[in-house]
Amino acid sequence: MNILLLPILIPFIAGLLILTISSRARFIKELITLFATFTCVIISFSLFKKEAVFALPGIGFGIEFNLRLEHLSSFILSASTAISFLIALYCVSFLRSKPYAKQFYSYLLITLSFVSGAVLSDNLIFMLFFWEGLLLTLYGLIAIGSKDAYHTAIKAFVICAVTDLCMMLGIGLTGYLAGTLNISQISLDLSPLATTAFILLVIGAISKASSMPFHSWVPDAAVDAPLPFMAFLPAAIEKLLGIYFLSRICLDMFNLMPESSLSIMLMVIGGITIILAVMMALIQKDYKRLLSYHAISQVGYMILGIGTALPIGIVGGIFHMLNNAMYKCCLFLTGGSVEKQAGTTDLEKLGGLMRKMPITFGCFVIAAVSISGVPPFNGFFSKELIYDAALERGWAFYLVALLGSFFTAVSFLKLGHAAFLGKLRDEYRNVKESGWLMLAPMAVLALLCVIFGVFNAYPINNLIQPILGERAVGHSFSGFPTNFTLVLFTLIVLAAAIISHLIGVKATGSGVRAVNYIHYAPVLSKIYELAERKFFDPYEIGLKLLSALARILYAIDRLIDWVYEKLSINIVFGLSRQLRYWHNGDYTLYVAWSLGGMFLVIIFLMARG
Amino acid sequence: MVNLNTILTIIFVPILGAFLLPFAGYLSVRLRNFLALGLVAVSFLGSLSLIPQALSQSPLSFSLHLPFINFNFSADALAVFMAMVSSLTGLIIVLYSFDYISHYQNQNEYYVMVVLFLGSMMGIIYSANLIFLYIFWEITAICSWRLIGFFRAENDVLRADKAFLVTFLGAIIMLIGFIIIYQQTGSFDLAVCKEYFLASSLPNIAVLLILAGILSKSATLPFQTWLPDAGVAPSPVTALLHAAVLVKIGVYVYARLFVATFPIAVFWHAVVPWVAAISAIIAAAAALIETDFKRIVAYSTISQIGFIFFGLSIGNEVGIVGGLLYILMHGLAKAGLFLCAGIVEQNTHTKDITRLGGLIRTMPVTAMAFLFCAFSVMGIPPFGGFFSKLMVFMGGVQSGQFLVSFVFLIGAFMTVIYLFRLFRMVFLGEAKISAKEGSRTMVFSVAMLAFLSLLAGILVMYPARFALAAVKQMLGLAQ
Repeated sequence: MNILLLPILIPFIAGLLILTISSRARFIKELITLFATFTCVIISFSLFKKEAVFALPGIGFGIEFNLRLEHLSSFILSASTAISFLIALYCVSFLRSKPYAKQFYSYLLITLSFVSGAVLSDNLIFMLFFWEGLLLTLYGLIAIGSKDAYHTAIKAFVICAVTDLCMMLGIGLTGYLAGTLNISQISLDLSPLATTAFILLVIGAISKASSMPFHSWVPDAAVDAPLPFMAFLPAAIEKLLGIYFLSRICLDMFNLMPESSLSIMLMVIGGITIILAVMMALIQKDYKRLLSYHAISQVGYMILGIGTALPIGIVGGIFHMLNNAMYKCCLFLTGGSVEKQAGTTDLEKLGGLMRKMPITFGCFVIAAVSISGVPPFNGFFSKELIYDAALERGWAFYLVALLGSFFTAVSFLKLGHAAFLGKLRDEYRNVKESGWLMLAPMAVLALLCVIFGVFNAYPINNLIQPILGERAVGHSFSGFPTNFTLVLFTLIVLAAAIISHLIGVKATGSGVRAVNYIHYAPVLSKIYELAERKFFDPYEIGLKLLSALARILYAIDRLIDWVYEKLSINIVFGLSRQLRYWHNGDYTLYVAWSLGGMFLVIIFLMARG
Repeated sequence: MVNLNTILTIIFVPILGAFLLPFAGYLSVRLRNFLALGLVAVSFLGSLSLIPQALSQSPLSFSLHLPFINFNFSADALAVFMAMVSSLTGLIIVLYSFDYISHYQNQNEYYVMVVLFLGSMMGIIYSANLIFLYIFWEITAICSWRLIGFFRAENDVLRADKAFLVTFLGAIIMLIGFIIIYQQTGSFDLAVCKEYFLASSLPNIAVLLILAGILSKSATLPFQTWLPDAGVAPSPVTALLHAAVLVKIGVYVYARLFVATFPIAVFWHAVVPWVAAISAIIAAAAALIETDFKRIVAYSTISQIGFIFFGLSIGNEVGIVGGLLYILMHGLAKAGLFLCAGIVEQNTHTKDITRLGGLIRTMPVTAMAFLFCAFSVMGIPPFGGFFSKLMVFMGGVQSGQFLVSFVFLIGAFMTVIYLFRLFRMVFLGEAKISAKEGSRTMVFSVAMLAFLSLLAGILVMYPARFALAAVKQMLGLAQ
């Protein structure tokens, strides 16, 4: 048994095992899950920064089961297994009385198995096999959340399936152009055809990372799906996977150049995602929904960073992906802690939980300042790298990124204020802090946010820079940013966010309504209203377009059916009616027929003779 | 001669045995049912025993001398592959019929027709002679006509007539094409014909005429509308006709004649994919709009047949392998969908999906089997449909026909959406009609098909290697 197979097989078998045991058996499923994820953590850490290959005979046409471990994949593998273990630990307490616990653990393990497979596969086909297989557990994990969660589950499934099918075509095209399906051997220049392949693959990658315009299921899932799902997939694993593949596409498989239009396309997608998603996050009145929009918005920074195609931007993008996995996961877990203890995530009702849940609050603060980009936490360093690259490519991109940071900070001030500060309602008098099983994963993640910030040189130099290979030789990205102007602007923006919050609170007297002046600004309020009614939801728009197309095509089908059902029958009956008219039994008419026929025969014979 | 006997057994045991079934039925219902199952099993096991020979360097081909004409057979990998797929799905469908059809009249006739149909299907598959191909082709048409009109209501009979007339129209046009081939080569024997057309390609008029027959049988544009209308038949019959066997006759004959035997002009490699593409998206669109359970699944079949034609017709190896695998994967999954439809229809007495809902709570196994089969049709790994769809797309881009590939991509999007729409409306949401789970045999059959769809994906290398061997034989490449 090759060691590369273990991170795929162990969770998969454990996942199937859990499905077979009785859901009433307590602790067994938790033990299996913890054991399996922990083993994977050990294996992936022991494999860390090693290189290995494993191959099985394929089915021809370059479709081979090749696994390859190298720097980037070992790095993503370690991160995803570690997060899975922390989530599993959290779930032991969080899911204790939930009816769907068994399914959740099983799907979580199978997801981990597929993620490992997708990361380790060197062959594009098997990467897609695992990648697209994630759809099944995605559907399952959302659908178990509540009675009506299936709407969201289907939405998520359809969006991801459509983009995965794009990727399928893109992989076919890439394999055709490159003459091989092994990622490590593909290196294409961006000819027009290769550009098509590139775009198709990018669609798959950024959709997995739930960037715009493939994002709209995430906020819905925040409400419907079990909370650990949000911390697990949209916050962490899907970002790791999507951005992993995006950097593979941009760095290894295609030679993306900074001056190319594709680079600008990626940056525009990134910029739009940052700003629109954060604007939506701003006005949310639900803890989880607010976070879910940030989960979308942060992808924008990663895509913007990688899209610059500059070494500094790529380093920033990948570092941001790693940081985001920590703080976003941590934030969702604090949300779960609040939900479990207070019974609600509605920001209108919450407030003053700081004193009741001090550790949760502490973790929240650390994660929130990290995501807002406050020095010396990890988000600050990755954002500064991205700012630097964005500014080099154009001030507009920088401005958008900076504006995004402003709104991020504002919305987290609002969230923190509304949930943890302010007045405690009477019904929450008896709220207690969560148990250590839930606090430990949050604390670990919060601690990592600090470590990766203060000691950012280690991850940047050892984990990320080697990914770039030759491109990054001679550069140094770690340490405190050297461009003090950019840092100054960042600090000004953060200060502005605090001022905005204070003004907002003063005007309305509550934390949750601190952004009302933006929400109900003249034109914005209309747009917000439409957006909340899913008027701009690309999924809904796509379905409407498709159903219009379907109606037209269906009309063609009905037309063809009409030819068989009506036209052909009418023609036959019409003809026979005519013939019947000439066969009326009249003797003289028949004689005339015979004479006419004989006449024709004679003419025919004479003509031939 | 052992192998000649094997082929004769595979074909004629079911065909002749079918006529014994009514007598068995007078003795005992169980005897008849198991006899029917046994007759189909003979075909399956016989084909299974031909595998080693079919994969060897010299696949079987031999003839039986009859007074006026030679009865030629060939048992190459393509034929054995197809026979395995048809008889395997046929077996499960017959098993499912035990409980389904026991609620209705005229059961003896039902079993005669089904077994006769499967026997003549084997005849089509193993024949290497155009005339015998045509004869078996028409026997299947007659059987399907009887089976579609099985419930004998006036509307049912009209629909059956429509199906028969459309496919007969195609078949008679195809026969003219066969006669053109005969005029040139002086033989109906495919081996002789193949020798004749080594250097030149088949006349376009013959291709066009034969294509009419193929498209009508496989319910592809512009002959597609008989298939959804034939949904009035009993569900196992729809599964048999629409999913697994009858509609695959067309694609099989396409592979047999235009891939394995006759070289055809290059432009057909562009024309047929386009016809298939338009057929695929029109049918997918119809599946999005219809509200009748079985009509939706039938339109889905038309759409998927488009993908099969796409794979077979673009003229490169990976596409053809994909097309053959598609026949297998789609046969298993689509039969599963129809049989699930049968369970739902029998227990709720309606096919209108707007009146259904929430059945997952009372029919969990059926719902899961439906979902699994749907995943396979959508092409989601680890189900088998993933690999077939992937290879068809790989073939599409390798042939350089990017635009057609994009049209098929839209078809694939629609597949995901209409199948989920169907699943949501029937199995999720509020229960409108309460119903219980189907009988044990029926549920076992659908679960089996779902399981096989999954297995075919995980163990894809076995069918894929078989299909690859078949394609190498067909194209005359060294193994």
